[in-house]
Order: sequence, then C-alpha cells, then structure tokens
Amino acid sequence: MTDQVLPAWSEPFVGARRDALRHLPPFGTLDREWAIGGTDGSGVTVAIIDSGVERDHPAVGGKLVRSVRVELAADSDDDPLVLDDADALDVVGHGTACAGIIHAIAPGADLVSVRVLGPDNRGKGIVFAAGLDWAIEQGVGVMNLSLSSKSDALFGLFHELADRAYFANALLVCAANNVPGNSYPSLFASVVSVAAHDLANPAAWFYNPRPPVEFGAHGLDVDVAWRAGGRMTASGNSFAAPHIAGYAALIRAKHPEVTPFEVKAILAATATPPGA
Amino acid sequence: MTDPAFRPRRRAASFDRDARAALAAIGRRAEVARRLELGSAEAVLRSVVEAAVALFEAEAASLALYEPARNVLVFRVAAGEQGQGVVGLEIPPDRGLVGYVFSSGQALAIADVRADPRFGRSFAEQTQYVPRSIVAAPLVDGRGTLGVLEVLDKRSEASFSLRDIELAGVFARQATVAIRASRVERDTSTLLRSVIGALTGDDVPPAGIDALVVAALAQVDDPDDPLWPLVEQIAALRRVGPEHRELLGALLDVLVRQAERGGGRRAGRLRAPGG
Repeated sequence: MTDQVLPAWSEPFVGARRDALRHLPPFGTLDREWAIGGTDGSGVTVAIIDSGVERDHPAVGGKLVRSVRVELAADSDDDPLVLDDADALDVVGHGTACAGIIHAIAPGADLVSVRVLGPDNRGKGIVFAAGLDWAIEQGVGVMNLSLSSKSDALFGLFHELADRAYFANALLVCAANNVPGNSYPSLFASVVSVAAHDLANPAAWFYNPRPPVEFGAHGLDVDVAWRAGGRMTASGNSFAAPHIAGYAALIRAKHPEVTPFEVKAILAATATPPGA
Repeated sequence: MTDPAFRPRRRAASFDRDARAALAAIGRRAEVARRLELGSAEAVLRSVVEAAVALFEAEAASLALYEPARNVLVFRVAAGEQGQGVVGLEIPPDRGLVGYVFSSGQALAIADVRADPRFGRSFAEQTQYVPRSIVAAPLVDGRGTLGVLEVLDKRSEASFSLRDIELAGVFARQATVAIRASRVERDTSTLLRSVIGALTGDDVPPAGIDALVVAALAQVDDPDDPLWPLVEQIAALRRVGPEHRELLGALLDVLVRQAERGGGRRAGRLRAPGG
C-alpha cells in the first residue's frame, strides 16, 4: 500500500531506487581527498536559520560566535526586527541538532544562529525571510535552512533572496519538504536542496541528476543534540541538510575561491557512488 | 507592496453605520453556523486520529489545532487508550516538537524519547504517557497551516521510517482538506478579520481592525439572547435518527409559520438593523 503513496523527495535516495542515480560524472579527476582532505572548516562561517542554537551545548563545541532572533515589528508595516540574542537559547532543540551535525563534520567552522520561529502563517514567512536577508548581509558563506515557506504570496520575496545569496557568494543548503508542493526556497535552482537517504552513514551523500532535490544525505535515525544539553534520535530531511552544509563548509574552507555553483558541482562530483 | 492594484478600497475610519451593522450581521450568521456545525467538525477530527492509529499501527494519535486569537496550539482530539491525556493541552507555536513542526512546516520523527529525561518528565506530568517514538506532520494546505498531527509508538517497530514520515505528511495534507471542508470558519473573529482585511487592504493597522471586530461581535456574546438556546436545540436535532429528524423538521416548520403570522417583525431578528 505504501508503494502507492505520492513520491516524496527522499524516494530517489532510498534502497534499490538509488540504482537510477547512475550518471556519467563529468569530473572524473576530483575526489574527496582533493575536495575536503585535511581541512576542518576553519575560516568559514555557517549560519543556522532555525529555532536557535544552545551556545553551551557540548555538541556545538563553543563555536557559536553570534546569535540573533528575528521578531515581527509591533507595527506590521515595519520590517521585522533582528535582535541580539545574548542568552543563545533554543526553545525547541531542532536548531541545536542542526548545529551539532555541522560541527561534527566541520569542527573548525564558526557558527551563527538566526532564530526565526514566527507566531503565525504570515508572520513566520516574513520573519524567516528577514532572517535570511540578515544572514546574507553578514557575508556568511554557507547557510543551513531546514525549514521552508509554502506561501505563494512570498514566492517572489524568497526568489529574490535566493538570487541575492547566490550573487553574494553565499550557498543556501535547504531541506526538501517531506510533502510535495510549494516549498521556498528549497525548490529554487540556485540552492542545494537535500532529502534523506536510508543508510546509517553520515559520510554518505548521493547526487541525483534529476532536480529539484539534487542531494540525499543521512537523515534516518540520526543521533542529534537537543534542547537543554540533551540528545535524541531523530529522522527527517531537516537532519539531512546540515550534513551537506557541513561538507560544503569543508569545501569552502579548503578552496576559498570557489563559488556556490562550483561547490554544488564539487559535491556532485565527490558524491558516494549509488552502488556503494 | 506599492502596487496600485492592492490599494485599499475603503479605510477603517470610513466604515459607516450601515457597514458596521452589516459586519455585525455577518458575525451573527457565522456564529450561528459555527454552533450548528460544531459536532460534525469534531467528528472529522476524531476520524482523522482514528484513521492515523489504524494506518500506522500506532498506540495513539492526536491532533492539535492552532488558535490564532490566543496564539496557541490546542490538542483537540486523541485516539488510542494511551493518548487521551493530551486532550486540552496547550502549546505555544514556537515551542517543542509540535510547535516546531507547526512553525517550520517540516514533518519530523523522533525515537527513543525516553532517553531524554527532560522531555519525558515534563511530557509525562501533563499527559500520563511517555511515547517511545513520535512522528509529527503539519496540517497544511494552500491556505496555510491548521495545526499538527502526531502519531505515537508504532507497534511493529521501535521507530518510524522515512516512509512513515512521508506517509504522515501526505496523510496530514489530505486530513487538512477534510478538516477545512468540514468546518464553517471555526473562529468567527478570524472570519470577520479576513473580511475587513479584504475590504480595507493592508493599510489599516491591526488595532483598527480589532476594534471593528470587537464592535461587530458585541451582540454575539449576549447570554440572554434567546437565539442561542434555539441554535443549541437545532444543533442537537442533528444527532437524532433520519425519521425523527423529518418529523421534527415538519413540526419546526409549522411553529415558524405560526410565529411569522404572530409577529412579522420578530421573524426578522437575523436581519441587520437598518439593512
């Protein structure tokens, strides 16, 4: 019965379906040693646009260098406010989970937390967009977005922000939404869109030559950091994206001259072979 | 935002007496419809959680809906013996797993919940039940997110698979369609706010819209209004069998005709004053 369910974004990365990912790589000479060997991500800043990051969580390794939260202005005509979040709280645990995954892969990378959980449908899209806008302005090299907006009204705004990030040399790594349908900016061509594969291997990632969701990474039963210094086993595309964000940070640390489009190409060239 | 097509057609200050009376009449009709439909909307919610328990072979399932007026997610129904304690629990939309799924729109699964003592203790105190594993999916459609569906403890497995997360997402989306179709706008003030918003555009500050909504609903909350006992009785009639319903319908029809003959003006109660 479950086979009749609408195909979701993880499907190309799961089980025997991975055979269909076979594809002639155009970059035969690139390997992971060249791409990320010997670097720990030092010199790169990764922004986590999420529920906040717990600064003192052991999984974050003291690498959280800045923490802000975004709130709607009292007057709805005004832009949302970006406020320093001195306490560096995570009211859910989700953002800390993403930060912990990135830190485990790129322990040298600096982390910036942008807390964007808004109160309602309209508010949350606007708050999310304002957080993304702020992170682009800061010159952050990699951003992890394990959330998306479904609002048709905000399509244009997110498209403009995705373009602006691309032109500002910032790589957006977005979790694909589990349910097909509008999902911005995760379905835009300039971003790296990620779904979960079903292997218990954080170092395995797959490239799918059929967009929009081009990468599959570890997202099933992931041991993640959680609120109040805790840990949890969690599953979802949300936890696949930060694996790719971590590897993108390593690529940018080792090859500071590469652009977002080249990072994506290197991720594709060094992806795990589908038969592995 | 400066597109002239989005200019307000009418400013709040220019809402004259007729317009305010019309809003009051809309509010009154919406409230009547809401009270009449209360039972059937709840039945749809219950059928969603019951179907979720069967579909996922789960110990329990529960459904939380967002209440914009109070900015909380409220657990409205639960299925499965273990899950009942959660009904009535309120959660801010930016807190906890349920809040995250609501605010981010991302379906998630967590396993080994008991391994986190903080989570277990606070949850158990409020619900008397600590699940091993949870999958939570947003109740979402093109118009926005209504709430969150939670499925607890798959009987056959220790945790939920990627397939379960996908399936929960698709199921929640279909459930959202059913929930939307089943209910007349549950929250009358939300309905009015959207009507006024559509009439005035974005230029009216929320406080101005709130004032109009409060004024329009001032009459609705009158407990002495004889309309509400009548609405309650009619809503109760929906629960009787079809043959009784027909009989009662005929009886009611006769009574209404009698009342109309007795006092034409009173039969016009639902009409807006001056309209």
